[in-house]
Amino acid sequence: MLGGLTKKKVRFVVVGGVAAVAHGSSRVTNDLAICYDTAAANVRALASLLASWHAYPRGIEKGLPFIMDDRTLRNAPILTLTTKEGDIDVLDQIAGVGPYAKVREHSEKISALGVSFRVLDLPSLIKAKRAAGRPRDFDHLPELEALLALSRDHR
Amino acid sequence: MTARQTAVAAGADLKWLTNSAALLRRPLRYTPQSAKWWGLVRLLTEKLGLSLKAAADAATTALSRADSRSPISASVDPSGSASLVVDLPRYESIFLANLSRALLQETPRRRGRSKAPPPSREAIGAALRYGTDVSLMKAALDRTPAERLQLLEANVEFVRAARRVPT
Repeated sequence: MLGGLTKKKVRFVVVGGVAAVAHGSSRVTNDLAICYDTAAANVRALASLLASWHAYPRGIEKGLPFIMDDRTLRNAPILTLTTKEGDIDVLDQIAGVGPYAKVREHSEKISALGVSFRVLDLPSLIKAKRAAGRPRDFDHLPELEALLALSRDHR
Repeated sequence: MTARQTAVAAGADLKWLTNSAALLRRPLRYTPQSAKWWGLVRLLTEKLGLSLKAAADAATTALSRADSRSPISASVDPSGSASLVVDLPRYESIFLANLSRALLQETPRRRGRSKAPPPSREAIGAALRYGTDVSLMKAALDRTPAERLQLLEANVEFVRAARRVPT
């Protein structure tokens, strides 16, 4: 999925579990979460890519009418999708951090799995988990905060 | 579904939902069908400025059509001289997106006030007390981000393969 997103020149930052793993978390996650730039051309590129992957809302009975295009993307600020490439959560902003511009400001570029992309930095990831306010996010905090402390000592 | 999930699926806040149900004297049911109806009522009141009663009637008419694959029109005044067109496939798409988010992300919360643990000055000790394996974290930090993500990919593939094995 990361390869597809970068190939189509979609502007995005990886957030959530995959970003946590990039910073050293040992949790296994199989869905990618991204925050995307809401500029019209970027939204069109992302929507077209998701449509080509046959994106459909996750956890919903199959076969219901679902139009995956830029209008749906603009009207649903958080999309939790399943695609032929895997599961992906698509967000236009991150609680505790802000819209894409802020998220990008608090991200770092990494190269992995044959592509270069940006991931949310660890302090912002911790802020986002705190702001999300769900028990499963709070459960992740001790590990992320310890990773932050360890990574400071590690440098 | 919970009350909060219903509100998220309807694209409304819970207070609006509760107040509107009271105004319409309509029982509030926490089901996907109810969320879909309330979502359309919310859309018609918020975006088109319809009164709650007119929006409720229009939503009932629109959603009672058997064929939801094309736009439909619904009368919004008693004389039938004004009507509006609801693009049901479009509305369904946005509703399904909100419903998926509600079901996956707005999972029922624990009883009582949900509170994040305070930032710990002694984060490593706090993680140990929580039961986190700090040696795993130290080992992860010895790897590059690329190596960590490669390991994640291998672990995910292992889990997928394990799920494919017939039991």
